[in-house]
Amino acid sequence: MEPSDEELCKRIAERDADAFELMVDRHQGRAYRLAASVLGNEADARDVSQDAFIRLYESAGRFDGRSRFSTWFYRILVNLCIDHQRKNRWWKRMVPLATPGGDDPDERAFDPPSSEAGPEDEAMVTQSIARLRPALAKLSPQQRAAVLLRTQEGFTSREIGEVLKCSEATARVHVHRGIAQLRKLMAND
Amino acid sequence: MVTNHPDTQIVPYLRGELSADERARVGAHLEGCAQCRESADASAAILSNLARVVDDVREPDWSEYRGELKRKLRARQASSANVRGRWRRLQEDLRLPVPIFSWPSMALGAAAVAVLALAIVMHRGAGTSQAPGVDQLELQRELSSADVGLLANYHVVEHLDLLENYDVIEHLDELGPGDRQNHESPS
Repeated sequence: MEPSDEELCKRIAERDADAFELMVDRHQGRAYRLAASVLGNEADARDVSQDAFIRLYESAGRFDGRSRFSTWFYRILVNLCIDHQRKNRWWKRMVPLATPGGDDPDERAFDPPSSEAGPEDEAMVTQSIARLRPALAKLSPQQRAAVLLRTQEGFTSREIGEVLKCSEATARVHVHRGIAQLRKLMAND
Repeated sequence: MVTNHPDTQIVPYLRGELSADERARVGAHLEGCAQCRESADASAAILSNLARVVDDVREPDWSEYRGELKRKLRARQASSANVRGRWRRLQEDLRLPVPIFSWPSMALGAAAVAVLALAIVMHRGAGTSQAPGVDQLELQRELSSADVGLLANYHVVEHLDLLENYDVIEHLDELGPGDRQNHESPS
C-alpha cells in the first residue's frame, strides 16, 4: 500500500531520501502547474516549485498534522509565489504560458470534441480559455491563488483560508471577487 | 425586491460545500433571482474553463527537474553546514578562560562602571564652573565652520549617494562654482 503524504512527511523529517523522492514525484506536477498558473511564467514556476520542495525537506518536522498535508504544502508554495511576485513587481513578466499549439486560438492544436460538445462549442471554449489566461494574470495574487486552488486542487473555502492565512469568509470573498473580475475582464475583452 | 444576494456563497453552493441550511437558503434565492442564476451559470463556466487553463500548462522534463532540485538541495545543505561550522568555530574562539558571570568578574565589572560614572560626573561639574579654554573655543569654531561649509554646499550634498561619493564629500571645500553647477543637475 502506498504511504500517505503525512507518513512520507514524517519520514522526510527523519531525513529519508527515498520518502522525499516519492513525495516530489507525487506532487511535482500539481505544484508546478499551480505555480505556473499563479506566476504566469514557466521558468519562475520551475524555480519557485523547487524552492517549495526544498522548504518542505527542511521543515517537514514542523508539520503537526492538524491540517491536511496538501494544505500545509500549498501554503508554502503559494506564499513563495506571492513573495516572488512582490519581489519582481516592477519587472514582472506576465508572459502568457506557452501552449501546445501556441497562444493564438487559431493556431492551437485541435482538441477532439467531447461527446457533450460539438465542434462549434469546443471552438468557443478554446477561444474562451485563450482569453482567460491574460485575464487571470490581472487578478491580485491572492485572488488568483484562491481561484486556482479552488479549480485545480478542489480546495474548500476553509482550506483556501488555511493556505492564504485568512478566514473562511475572506477566502470566499477572494474566490467571488476573482471570478467576478474574470467575468468583467472577459466581457470587456 | 431582493436586496441581499448571496454573492460569496454561489461558488461554495456550486461545489456542494454549504451546510444543508445554507444550501436550502441559497437554492431558494437562486430560484427567485435571475441575476444570481446568471451569475451562478457564468461562474460555473469560468471555473470549468479555468481547469482547462491549468491543464494546458506545458510540463518540464521531470527527470531534469528532479536532478536540478537535488543539486539545489545539496547546495543548500552544504551552505547551511558551512554557516553552522563557522558559528561553532566563532563560539570556540570566543570562549573565555574565566566564566563571564562568576562573582569576581561581576564585582570587577560593577567597580569599573562606578569609577567611570564618578569620572563623568566630576568632569561635567568642572566643565560648568569654568569658562571654556582657548583651545576649546578654537575647536568649536572649527566644527561650526565645517557644518556651515556642508550647509553652504547643501545643493551638492542633497544629490549625493553618501557611500558612492565619499571622495566628493571629503573634498567639498575644493569644489569650484562650475563643479557645483554640475552636481546640482544630476543626470
